[in-house]
Amino acid sequence: MNRTLDARFGSGVARGVAWVQRERGIARLIALSAAVVLIFSLLRPEYYLSMTNFQTIGLALPEIGLLSLAAMISFISGGIDLSVVSTGVLSSLTVAYVFRGLGAEEMTGGSAAGVMLLALVAAVLMGALAGAFNGFLVSVVGITPILATLGTMTLYNGLAIVVTQGEAIYGMPDVFLELGNGTVGSIPISLIVLLVVGVVLAVVVNRTALGTRIRLVGANPTASRFSGINNRHVLMLTYMTSGVLAGVAGILMASRAASASADYGSSYLLLAITIAILGGTNPNGGFGTVFGVMLATLTLQLVSSGFNIMRLTAFEYTIAQGVVLIAVIVADAAGDRRRSRKAAVKAAPHVAAPVVPAS
Amino acid sequence: MNNTAKSTGLTSMLTRLRGTNNEGILAGTLIVLVLAMGLVNPDFWSVATAFGIARSSMVDIVFALGVLMVIITRQIDVSFPVVGIFAAYSTVVLVDSMDTAFGAIPTFLVAGGIGTVLGLVNGAIIARLQLPALIITLGTVGIFRGGLLTYVGSKYIGNLPDALNDLSRTDLFVVTQGGSTTRLHVFIVPVVLLCIAVSLFLNRTIWGRGLYAIGGDIESARRAGLSVPRIQLTLYASVGLLAGIAGMMYVTLARTANPHEFAGTELDIIAAVVLGGASILGGRGSVVGTVLGVVLIAVIRNSLLLMGVPSTWQRAAVGILLILGITAQMLGSRRRARPGREPDVDAAAPTSDTTSEVTR
Repeated sequence: MNRTLDARFGSGVARGVAWVQRERGIARLIALSAAVVLIFSLLRPEYYLSMTNFQTIGLALPEIGLLSLAAMISFISGGIDLSVVSTGVLSSLTVAYVFRGLGAEEMTGGSAAGVMLLALVAAVLMGALAGAFNGFLVSVVGITPILATLGTMTLYNGLAIVVTQGEAIYGMPDVFLELGNGTVGSIPISLIVLLVVGVVLAVVVNRTALGTRIRLVGANPTASRFSGINNRHVLMLTYMTSGVLAGVAGILMASRAASASADYGSSYLLLAITIAILGGTNPNGGFGTVFGVMLATLTLQLVSSGFNIMRLTAFEYTIAQGVVLIAVIVADAAGDRRRSRKAAVKAAPHVAAPVVPAS
Repeated sequence: MNNTAKSTGLTSMLTRLRGTNNEGILAGTLIVLVLAMGLVNPDFWSVATAFGIARSSMVDIVFALGVLMVIITRQIDVSFPVVGIFAAYSTVVLVDSMDTAFGAIPTFLVAGGIGTVLGLVNGAIIARLQLPALIITLGTVGIFRGGLLTYVGSKYIGNLPDALNDLSRTDLFVVTQGGSTTRLHVFIVPVVLLCIAVSLFLNRTIWGRGLYAIGGDIESARRAGLSVPRIQLTLYASVGLLAGIAGMMYVTLARTANPHEFAGTELDIIAAVVLGGASILGGRGSVVGTVLGVVLIAVIRNSLLLMGVPSTWQRAAVGILLILGITAQMLGSRRRARPGREPDVDAAAPTSDTTSEVTR
């Protein structure tokens, strides 16, 4: 065969292989979700395939989905954000205090909408502020992200306890509670919020210069610095984004629970990290997709609701989470190893058997 | 800390005082804090306070020893609290279910054994597949905790086996001071022995030096002829062993076994170890620093209480101190550290330092 033709053909194959590699994780998650739905549908069709069940899933999913996206964005930049849940809690408290401070519980109509807008903006700003402090510690002071956010997690959590004195804050208007509990048609409003935020985030990550920079900084900070990227600036924006996402999650938390308290969602942190990794995010930086993380959230929620319907306990669901995470990681690692061995064979064809390009 | 940087003539002596992992600074901070607390509130300088701090840091120190070894290899294990309570609770259930009386030492051996087995599970996956321990242990946390609560039990056990009950009342010293008696629990002996053992292992054995080598640069460690998977397997097994012992100690001291215990404490212990000078970038860390880190946090908690800081402020205060402590460390070692994770650039420097630590 002609050498250049061979090379061109080879690169085409390589591109195809790369595409499959990229989408393989997603394909596997889709298969996994389908299998979960199938199994539980066969076991308990009358409950699992009901509208109520899917609505329940839709209502439970957005909070943890947003927190997982927040975890994902810091992973892509090569860091980690352990403060996502405590940031979310600060935002939910902000919402609650704005409503309480303005005596909004009984408000309706225009004034309620005005106050609600104020509360939402305040909550998002609180998230951005918390994220900015993380960003400051990571990029300006130069603390390793895991430590910086470990410290701020403790700090934010502590501040929440100080402010609330350990008590739950009530007093939100009905119009706000609709956000976390209401539906449009039969689609939960909070799910729409998640989808909108997800699309915006996907555009930022995939289609903007900032997204490319975040990935570059995550893949190789030295290389990104030498290619003229201001790493500090990028990391600052990364953690602010994470904070804003956590802030939106906090809004949904407050709305769904109709209250805000310092200890809300304490089990969410490890779950959010698990989902981010399950969604194909590389915890060492450089790669992660919004779609993958959303899909992973859905997969775990499908398992969770199935476990509920089967009357399995939350403890058994915990086991399932762990098993799914490890199984996916192990499968990934095994696949990588097989591929890298193949690549090695290809790179040195004289050592091993001749390559068959038409594979 | 400031005079260390400013003085010129005494630099070499001060450098030595400061220690390879800033243990000196840490010890200094601790001394200053203790002196200041004593001046503010003379009650602080008492045997009772010292014994209280010793008692409240004993369990954390044993956990922290395991965490230290993992952090030295540049990994993070978040499963140790679960392993600890799994081992302790299962042991109590097991001993309760048997008719024959069981001594305290066999009980601890069983707990250590269960911990070791769980650690081996972590180690096997990590060593076989060379995957980040953080992710694997996140998964095993779910499996272990779920497994404990589903298959072993989820009920609170209020009365321990007799041997443990007796042990929980065994004190090494009993001091009567001004009418009130204070006790130092006998567990201080095994804790000190474990510290010495881990320190010897880290500094005097090929295995221990291997941990530093892996943390410094895993590829170099491999080329230097170390069997990385074997070291990792035994490492996580030892972490499990330590966690099992720590969990059993906790249950004995508390005189109750609660399978929901320790949820969310993993990060606190990791924080203490890092405060103690172990680098999250691998290749550095010492037992002395780790013990100082744990004790410092215990002293801070205790001081806040004594100063009448409301308990609601505790967590925020610990958070602030943690951030300040890490920032100070970071600024002190600015030349070695860069923003973000840049392991390849940074990891090279610490290894040379740690080798000088051995020969000291």
